[in-house]
Amino acid sequence: MSHPTKFGDRRGSIAAAVTVVLLLVGGALVGKAYSGTQSPPQPPAAQSAPSSAASASSSPGTTLSPSSSATTSTPASTSEFGPIMPPSSPISLAIPSIGVNTKGIVDLKLDKNGKLEAPQDFQKAGWYANGPTPGEFGPAVIGAHVDSKSGPAVFYRLGSLKKGAQVSVVRKDGSTARFVIDRVARYPKNAFPTATVYGDTNGRAELRLITCGGAFDQSTGHYVDNIVAFAHLIR
Amino acid sequence: MRTTTKIATVALGSAALLPFLGAGIAQAADGNTTATLRPVALNGVKANGTAMVTVSGTRIDVTMAASGLLAGSPHAAHIHFGADARHECPVAGDDAKGDGTINTTDGGPAYGPIVVSLTKTGDTSPKSGLAVDRFDTAPGGKISYERGSINVSSDVAQAITEGKAVVVVHGVDHNDNGKYDGETKSDLDPSLPTEATDPAICGVLNAAPAGGMDTGAGGTSTPNNEGMLLLGGGLLIAAVGSGAFTARKARNRV
Ligand SMILES: [Cu+2]
Repeated sequence: MSHPTKFGDRRGSIAAAVTVVLLLVGGALVGKAYSGTQSPPQPPAAQSAPSSAASASSSPGTTLSPSSSATTSTPASTSEFGPIMPPSSPISLAIPSIGVNTKGIVDLKLDKNGKLEAPQDFQKAGWYANGPTPGEFGPAVIGAHVDSKSGPAVFYRLGSLKKGAQVSVVRKDGSTARFVIDRVARYPKNAFPTATVYGDTNGRAELRLITCGGAFDQSTGHYVDNIVAFAHLIR
Repeated sequence: MRTTTKIATVALGSAALLPFLGAGIAQAADGNTTATLRPVALNGVKANGTAMVTVSGTRIDVTMAASGLLAGSPHAAHIHFGADARHECPVAGDDAKGDGTINTTDGGPAYGPIVVSLTKTGDTSPKSGLAVDRFDTAPGGKISYERGSINVSSDVAQAITEGKAVVVVHGVDHNDNGKYDGETKSDLDPSLPTEATDPAICGVLNAAPAGGMDTGAGGTSTPNNEGMLLLGGGLLIAAVGSGAFTARKARNRV
């Protein structure tokens, strides 16, 4: 007769222990979800972007060409040339309006598929070392992670960057290249506007800041969009 | 006998296919390349630029921008490639004669011969390499060049996409007197001073990145957060259930 009671007792105390564990773990998870990091800020997805950008974004493999099939040269006006600096690699990056101040910029290469590799270190920005240095003519490219597996990374707030914001890049030669943001856009990775982002800038020293955005695809372990900030060098 | 013939036929067939496969691979090398043009060693030109070459089969489209060049003088500009060259811009050690400057002969081992002449109009073959009346004269020291649909050989197209071609803009005013002159004649054309043909700025054409970047591990992403919230909430509901069970057990004992 006493067996069922004992058994009942044990079941009761196991259930009590389970209850405590469930409360602790469940509460912690809910707490982390609320108090912890929010999802990173997102600029609106690029829609029917202005003129050339729109046609260029139609396919990821779009050529960088200005698509003029002219057989003779059509020199653009040289009056729109901007300031320029001699070549020198970047060593640190500061974007005060979104709290970015990162030192020790790493060199980035292309992978086997021609895609730009991300920095190994979530807390470092990387620069495409086969392209122009920040301050030279052309689009200098700096990329950094939006987050790690556990929390925000260097470019967590890139999506909230506003037109007119200041960006400064300290270079190996001791000089500082100062840029101002022209626009911030979000593009699906499967329709990335290669020409708009990496194409020639026709006599302007420009900067591209790239990170991830949009939804996170658990099956691939990657975000589905890229956020790109476009900036140009100022004197 | 018959089997042997069949095998031979198959083997011959695949061998015949090989060139086409090869062509297919070369074709697939279409792409966008860019060069950052920097001052050539020893020649002391304070100029910079960029060039972009888009390859589609054996057709290329070119844009180029540069500033800081000798103003109002023709600047021969070319794409260079040589199978035996180093596929890079000349360095100080290429000054074979030791005269303290890099001339076109000195540049050869680094970037090879001319394969495309970036003229404004007309022929773009190596024959137009010194067609001074058809090159940009850099008003204000600046060049803004754009030319589409230049036909090249498949070897050249492939060299460009493989990062082996080099863009060179020539014309160096060594004595800073605002024009091409001097006793030393060009090793390409003795009717021109070497100043007119010495390489000024140079850059290797490299593949531009293709597509976007994978720059996130999802630690702050919305779906992940929702998952955490759902799981946590689920556990809390389960706690209510097991709590009730514990209470019932406790009541039963009384
Ligand atoms: Cu040349």
